[in-house]
Amino acid sequence: MEKIYKAFEKAKNDKCNAIVTLVEPKENLNKGKLSGEPIILKDNISTKGIRTTASSKILDNYYPIFDATVVEKIKAEGGVIIGKASMDELAMGGTNLAAYTGPVLNPWDYKRMSGGSSGGSAAAVASGIVSFAIGSDTGDSVRKPASFCGIVGVKPTYGRISRYGVVAYASSLDHVGYFTRNVKDASLMLEVLAGRDDKDMTSSFKEVKEYSKLLNSDVKGKKIAVFKNVIDSLDNENTLNLFNDLLNKLKEKGAIIEEVSFDNDLMRTLFPVYFIIANCEATSNHSNLDGLRFGVSEDGDDTREVVINSRTKGFGSLIRKRFVIGSFGLHEENQEKVFKKAQRIRRLIVEEVKKCLEEYDCLIAPASNDIAPLLEGNKIDELSDKYLIAENHMVIGNFTGYPSMTVPMGFEKGCPIGVNITCKAFDEENMFNIGLAIEESTGLKDLVAKVD
Amino acid sequence: MNYEVVIGIEIHCELKTKTKMFSGSPTSFNEPANTCVNEIDLAFPGTLPTVNKEAVRKGIMACAAFNLEIDTLLKFDRKNYYYSDLPKGFQITQQFHPLGKNGYVDIEVDGNTKRIGINRIHLEEDTAKQFHIDDETLIDFNRAGTPLIEIVSDPDMSSGSEASAYVETLRQTLLYIGVSDVKMEEGSMRCDVNISLNKPNEPYGTKVEIKNLNSISNVARAIDYEIKRQSEILDKGEKVISSTRRFDESSRTTIEMRRKEGGVDYKFFPDPNIVPIRLSDDWVKEIVNSLPELPSERKKRYKNDYGLNDNEINVYLGNRDLAELFEECMKYGDKARSISNWLITDVLAWLSKNNVEIKNSELKPKELVRMIELIEEKVISSTQGKDIVLDGIMKGELTEDIINEKGLKQVSDEGMLLEVINKVLDEQPQSIVDYANGKDRAVKFLMGQVMKKTRGQANPSLANKLIVEELAKRINK
Repeated sequence: MEKIYKAFEKAKNDKCNAIVTLVEPKENLNKGKLSGEPIILKDNISTKGIRTTASSKILDNYYPIFDATVVEKIKAEGGVIIGKASMDELAMGGTNLAAYTGPVLNPWDYKRMSGGSSGGSAAAVASGIVSFAIGSDTGDSVRKPASFCGIVGVKPTYGRISRYGVVAYASSLDHVGYFTRNVKDASLMLEVLAGRDDKDMTSSFKEVKEYSKLLNSDVKGKKIAVFKNVIDSLDNENTLNLFNDLLNKLKEKGAIIEEVSFDNDLMRTLFPVYFIIANCEATSNHSNLDGLRFGVSEDGDDTREVVINSRTKGFGSLIRKRFVIGSFGLHEENQEKVFKKAQRIRRLIVEEVKKCLEEYDCLIAPASNDIAPLLEGNKIDELSDKYLIAENHMVIGNFTGYPSMTVPMGFEKGCPIGVNITCKAFDEENMFNIGLAIEESTGLKDLVAKVD
Repeated sequence: MNYEVVIGIEIHCELKTKTKMFSGSPTSFNEPANTCVNEIDLAFPGTLPTVNKEAVRKGIMACAAFNLEIDTLLKFDRKNYYYSDLPKGFQITQQFHPLGKNGYVDIEVDGNTKRIGINRIHLEEDTAKQFHIDDETLIDFNRAGTPLIEIVSDPDMSSGSEASAYVETLRQTLLYIGVSDVKMEEGSMRCDVNISLNKPNEPYGTKVEIKNLNSISNVARAIDYEIKRQSEILDKGEKVISSTRRFDESSRTTIEMRRKEGGVDYKFFPDPNIVPIRLSDDWVKEIVNSLPELPSERKKRYKNDYGLNDNEINVYLGNRDLAELFEECMKYGDKARSISNWLITDVLAWLSKNNVEIKNSELKPKELVRMIELIEEKVISSTQGKDIVLDGIMKGELTEDIINEKGLKQVSDEGMLLEVINKVLDEQPQSIVDYANGKDRAVKFLMGQVMKKTRGQANPSLANKLIVEELAKRINK
């Protein structure tokens, strides 16, 4: 328990605005893979009797009556939950600037953002409060903040971890993911979280391997595909140098490195396709947030008015904008040329990536062009390849459902940046092995930001 | 002038399952409000649907009963709209791939058979129930998520009597195959009617929907009224307005609820949380093959094999439990008509008088048959059966035991009867005189005396015959 109380004290003194709710630690008598281990959860993971806000005002007073399946699994393995972490409102965003409790600061540089949407969880691990934190990943919401915070971020195969009890964003893209400070811990955490759950029909019956025991950093003969479209869209030389150094080291270890190019026009659709599918599903998924049965209820003359007032006051303006876009895409007269078209393009992209991974063991690229942006960032050109491809390529892991992880790659101005790998469906074993080889190549593991 | 009437019917029917369509909480009827709900029914964030296999099974049974093609790839879609009785803000239904399509049912109207097409049957979930009291709204979520099938007919009907025959046939069939309680008054079966009128050889007229008809007779009444109403409008050269109406019981008219202006956009799309499920052909076949006998088949069998008349058959088609009891009885006897007669009159009367349901009655079918046999063999009288034996066997006793205990066996021994009769005649000389004077009533009186002395056990016809013979002897002396 000592480790847990120490973590709890650190969480109390968190300077990144990462923690939304502190949870008084309760001794867990279960012995298992997480015995004595303090855990922080993204605040969209339902916890029985513990406030779960998804960083949205409309859920400010929401106390679930049940635990998410991942919470049950963590408890069963001896883990102790000590806090709920900030996120972009309803997981919609990549900056963690859209939490109703304010932005999460990057522990490496308080002037910078943590990244999102699982920014609070990432900051909690990076600042040394806990070694394990749970997040969720619908576009790159675990892997991007992991890159910005210098830690390991994992999004396993769709269906590998049950989504039951995780506040939905876009069901066909939503994944439970998590953060650790090294690959070994990452492989162990999947053993805890993975497995079939009868409450989630999309969860897989495939056996859960003992990934941590199978870990092996030998990449001799492994075929690694360098994601050429991403490299061509990058303009940060430091990032490119770090990436090329890493590739050379992997080559020295015997890996076969080859460049792979996809149709660049197709890659330019990644973000808009994601944006449409995610918002269309979100507008439907979040229709349950109406102030009638739970959450913050505003007054009204009848139930219809209560719903309108609760939703108008309960959501931030970014969220309301996304609902309008999603609703537009689902309208009968638009659905064919918006939502369904996006789904067709998603399938094209999936086919391309699938073909590539039939030949290669993994697809590799820097997780982004730059280190974490400043909180008061410069305006970005949302139509440039740099934005559309380099900053958004990790959404491929959500389109395909393939396992994908980010591992620290290097530093710039004292701030970390990560590298991303994506593997075949249910090939987490291979993903962890390549991740370990990367970790050994860079020597970057167990990083903790110096918090003053 | 005369118009062609086009009627289509949509029926929502609650499936009889232990748990809800997409959650493990129990289905309920008349439970205290909000006691049969869990986090899924209330659409708490992060909850996910799981498909109830038993509901799928019952849905397949309904499809099979009405000859629909069954789609073995099970898919569900979301129908999105905001309403306070709809917790998720969408209903999970089967918009794009219904469980069954292109079936039919044969109905009988005025002795003629007509085939009505069934366009589709799909699975979906029910909404919560709302109560508006003064300016407050109360919501009971017990019903939310209850499995439903929606049965959509083709527009093949053209009168109130056809429509009510259709609904009744569906009701009987669904009841018989055991997929639903089909209680219209209690809402486990709900009926919406679409009706339009047009001049012969002209395109369909404007459709009007009458919602939530709660009895079969109201289906016919609402349609008859609506035909009259629309005819009058068209006769005047005016146009029927596309609207949703309800039937008002007290005035027996339909009343407009709202107009239909450009349909509502429900933004249907496939539910991403339910992966398409491939139903195994063997499982579907097994369900189809084990379908119980349909009422239409049973009707034929009762007519041809047992010689029952239409009235009797209709009682059985409307009361499946009684029909099952009849079937049980027929295992022990062959006198279908008299068994049926006893069941429909005396057994039903006893049950209703004692407020017992057939399911809970202790009657052993074999004992009822035995009683009927003994009556026909004149071992006991039919009056004894009705007044004494029936009450016992309805409580689970055995026929022979009752007869022995109460000493009901008829005395058919001539010598013994003659002894009693002559004793009575000795005591009642006036009766002999009366009889001699042509008063036949005297025989009845004497019979009563004989019965009194034998404690009702005298075989009545034999005793009657002997009394007349003995009277004749004494008068002729």
